[in-house]
Amino acid sequence: MHIHKFEKIWLIFGVGALVVFLSVVGVSAFYLGNKPPSCLTTIDPKKVDTEAPFDKPGLNKVEGKEWDYELVYVASAFLYNPGEVEVPLGAKVKVIATTKDVVHGFQVAGTNINMMLEPGYVNEIVTTFDKEGEYLVVCNEYCGTGHHLMSSKIKVVK
Amino acid sequence: MAKVELKSNKKTEIEDSSSLKGTLASVFLLGIFLVVTWASVYFLFLDRF
Repeated sequence: MHIHKFEKIWLIFGVGALVVFLSVVGVSAFYLGNKPPSCLTTIDPKKVDTEAPFDKPGLNKVEGKEWDYELVYVASAFLYNPGEVEVPLGAKVKVIATTKDVVHGFQVAGTNINMMLEPGYVNEIVTTFDKEGEYLVVCNEYCGTGHHLMSSKIKVVK
Repeated sequence: MAKVELKSNKKTEIEDSSSLKGTLASVFLLGIFLVVTWASVYFLFLDRF
């Protein structure tokens, strides 16, 4: 079979690009362990307020874990608890969040923290807050008439 | 006896399509666009926390 020289070049380029893209995603997922922010933990949405760690929303210092703090969020129509939180710069934090009622979003604008909170499920993401500033937490899943008012704030301070 | 003869002296004209320069250029324009956008989004992901 005759293949034109140029066709060979772009076939190699295309297949090469595909291999590189898939390898990067594969290494990220299977070697570095990056995954969507869910830990497959379930919770009874009616008992969120009484069950640990959601009985103490906010930033909690923890000892003997891979992360220094746990930042616990409870979402409900149409607010986040806590409404504002201060995180020390450089802290390794596990953000743990769930919802008491309907599906809410949890996006920290301008960062990689972006998850969907579903009733009955707990979502987690571990990250290091290494940039100072004020970050807006917004709901990016339409949750009802007050959806556009639903927000919280994370202040990363020295 | 009648002789059935296939006319074999008719040559099929094949257009010379060996010049694929324009195709190569457009394929690589698209390819470079894909690589650049993919890489920039990936590095944006790495840069953010």
